[in-house]
Amino acid sequence: MKVIIVGAGEVGFHIASRLVVENKDVVIVDKNPEAIRRVSENIDVQVVSGSGSSPAVLMEAGIKEAEILLAVTDSDEVNLIACLVANILSPATKKLSRLRDADYDAYHKIFRDQPPYIDTVINPEIEVVKTIDRLMSVPGAVDVWEFADGRVKFIGIYLDPGSRLAGVRLSDLTNLIGDRRPLIAAIIREEELIIPRGSNRLMPGDLLYFISEQERVQDILEAFDKHPEPLRRALIIGGGRIGYRLAMRLEEKSIYTKIIEKKPERCAFLAGKMNKAIVLCGDGSDQTLLDEENIRDMDFVITLTADEETNILTSLLARRMGARKTITKIDKFSYFPLMTAIGLEQVVSPRLSAINTILQHIRRGKVLSAISLKGEQAEVMEAVALETADIVGKPLRNISFPKGSLVTGIIRQDRVIIPSGDSIIEPGDRIIIFAVRDAIPKIEKILAVKLEYF
Amino acid sequence: MRWPYVLHVVGILLIFFGFSMICPLAVGFYYADSSIVPMALSMGITIVGGLLLYAIFRGTKSEIVTQREGMAIVALGWTGVGFFGALPFYLGGEVSSFANAFFESVSGVTTTGSSVIQDIESISRGLLFWRSFIQWLGGMGIIVLSVAILPFLGVGGMQLYKAEVPSPVPDKLKPRIRDTAMVLWKVYALISTAQVFFLLLGGMDLFNALCHTFTTMPTGGFSTRNASIAGFDSLYLDMVILFFMILAGINFSLHYQALQGKPLAFWRDSECRFFIGLTLLLVLIVSLDTFGVVYEDIGRSFRYGAFQVVSILTTTGYATADYEQWPAMTHLILFFCMFIGASAGSTGGGMKCLRVMLYLKYCYKELFSLIHPHAVKQIKIGRKPVPDDVMRSVLGFLGLYIGLFALCTILLSSMGVDFVTSISAVAATMGNIGPGFGSVGPTENFVHIPYLGKWLLSWCMLLGRLEIYTIVILLVPEFWRK
Repeated sequence: MKVIIVGAGEVGFHIASRLVVENKDVVIVDKNPEAIRRVSENIDVQVVSGSGSSPAVLMEAGIKEAEILLAVTDSDEVNLIACLVANILSPATKKLSRLRDADYDAYHKIFRDQPPYIDTVINPEIEVVKTIDRLMSVPGAVDVWEFADGRVKFIGIYLDPGSRLAGVRLSDLTNLIGDRRPLIAAIIREEELIIPRGSNRLMPGDLLYFISEQERVQDILEAFDKHPEPLRRALIIGGGRIGYRLAMRLEEKSIYTKIIEKKPERCAFLAGKMNKAIVLCGDGSDQTLLDEENIRDMDFVITLTADEETNILTSLLARRMGARKTITKIDKFSYFPLMTAIGLEQVVSPRLSAINTILQHIRRGKVLSAISLKGEQAEVMEAVALETADIVGKPLRNISFPKGSLVTGIIRQDRVIIPSGDSIIEPGDRIIIFAVRDAIPKIEKILAVKLEYF
Repeated sequence: MRWPYVLHVVGILLIFFGFSMICPLAVGFYYADSSIVPMALSMGITIVGGLLLYAIFRGTKSEIVTQREGMAIVALGWTGVGFFGALPFYLGGEVSSFANAFFESVSGVTTTGSSVIQDIESISRGLLFWRSFIQWLGGMGIIVLSVAILPFLGVGGMQLYKAEVPSPVPDKLKPRIRDTAMVLWKVYALISTAQVFFLLLGGMDLFNALCHTFTTMPTGGFSTRNASIAGFDSLYLDMVILFFMILAGINFSLHYQALQGKPLAFWRDSECRFFIGLTLLLVLIVSLDTFGVVYEDIGRSFRYGAFQVVSILTTTGYATADYEQWPAMTHLILFFCMFIGASAGSTGGGMKCLRVMLYLKYCYKELFSLIHPHAVKQIKIGRKPVPDDVMRSVLGFLGLYIGLFALCTILLSSMGVDFVTSISAVAATMGNIGPGFGSVGPTENFVHIPYLGKWLLSWCMLLGRLEIYTIVILLVPEFWRK
């Protein structure tokens, strides 16, 4: 499968390196020689130097044979034109484009149904706001993903050092917390991913990923000593596009919201749009200002300025001054491993969100959604089991799943089944599969047997 | 840098190289000659050596190979291949010392074609085949071949590829390096098959046809005859070999495009035009220069002149005539051909036409900006501007090439080798040509070069084959610093 990526920025670069591992043919187009060099020296892809909106450049990149075009430059205009040109040169190519300007929000569907026929428009900012919203709604969670329209949740939590579950074998978990025991799909310990078995023990500091039906989430969290806390007050630092979107969303939920923004003009704009939220003009890292605005009573402080270093430091400051929780926006991937170490567990990234959204559209077969876990070592996919697929109609224990993969949930009509070895997948079921990176191509193959059905 | 990992990969390469010895072994068995024992022994030693490296340093698995590690793997890998490739010559007793065997082997894999064997025709067929076969392996590149067929080199293959094929302007034919390497080897094998066919048509026997194809396509130059191609004395064979030498001197990505049904690719590529144009011009000059002085009729002077110019310019090094008897101007032209070399991305050596072309354009640009101080001018290949850093690396390369040439010449002459021989021996080994002038001319060989001189020239050959940087970087102290 050939994929052309226009834009060798952080998003383009990371998607390319993911796809290469999965043996896809990737061509990257960018006009910045520096970005091109970074790509060609680090990943095994073909590079074409030039503007992605130019027909000649797209032809050189081989748009005619490409199955997918990803337009992920920093400029919405270039992305749109690249899709438009691609649509003329090669109508069969599937097009995905990143559009960030809120002005386009209402037109995503129109772009899909009319030229340039962009199959998927991705707005990372919308995705990030959704992510923040999910993180705020599940107490103690550092990662929350939804499947089956929100009926199934995939949640990552840290096991507190003082927890009574620390040191317990997974097989003994039932004795301790009874039927509130969740299906633990993965444990991340010291940055290493473990696919747990019954004999594995839980250790303090582990990041646990488990899957659960929506109704049971609360029970399970309580079993892990994560108690719901009231969410009444939130402080947003940075009133950019994401800050604005988030404030609107929090307002709808009747959460008492304050926004701190540096630029007076932007403050005026925000004040004009907001009904209840308080807009404060000032520096988010100003201790006096934070004190004045009662930061110690805040349930959540969300740092969303354009400068990620400022976000990190401001979050740490807020934490120190008594804010209960912080969510930090970071874009540089190399900072992710540091975050746990300095105590910022809840982190969001527009780029990571964009990558996740794009990935789920690249996956073959009937993959409905796909997310990737911290460190990008594993993915969780939701897929429809086809009648023709090999996995249908026999007990799970008789199916040879690739190493490092696990069926973590079966959704049959309205029921959610947490599977055991005897469970049988029926045609039409939606299955949730957890898989480490190496197993992904094989999983794709299992799901997509007999391509002519699509 | 992770040395255990570097040695682990070198081990893989050696195992692979060891298994390739099965081909000459089969030839040895077919002719039932004296090469069977040394060949089998060498194969065993190489595979065991490779396995030892592989096993001792296993456990350091990684997906990423840094550029530094890539260069170390390639440099060590080639040295190792030169070393183990020498075993059959040494064990077979065909050459007197290990320095000689190493020289012959490195001369093979680097596709140089300089020889220390005085009576080639007396050597067993198995060894003759091995001598040609390593040239064929080295031509398109041992690393490129490994990247193409050994799946576990995986992602790291790219760094290795870049260290072995350091083209000034990289072109990747396929999105993935493994597919690119595969395509190049397929094209290489296909053209080789065609050459074997045409040589057979000319009445050459299969053994000689294979051996000569294996040394024409990589622009190697080893022959099975003492008198090189002159030993066959056939106009048809001369012309077939001449034609395939030119093919081998052209960028293989153009061959690929041509095979894809775009024969105009040759014409559209400015380096290819430069290479062909230069060849024609020099053939004309040399033929006219020898006409009347060496050869009485124009046909003969054209036949030998053309063959010799192409043979030297593509850095093959076959001989159909003793060009040392030719006029002085021809000597100098052939000497400078040794520096220019063939196209980038071909199997030929030398500085490469592309670099020479870029250098000439750079000189013109300098002159131009003296006349129009405010002019903004960009150097272009075809219609594409060349980035400044590429230009800088080309200038750096040419500077290093000339500098190392001077240094090695002085070193060699300090060992008591005469002026002409020193200069031409270094030029011929660095450019991977083969024969030079003076006492290493087309009718002589390198056996009389002092012991130390042979190690020096072997090093020059590796230097030329891996295009300077990969080998020279090993001498930079910064490279070894943690």
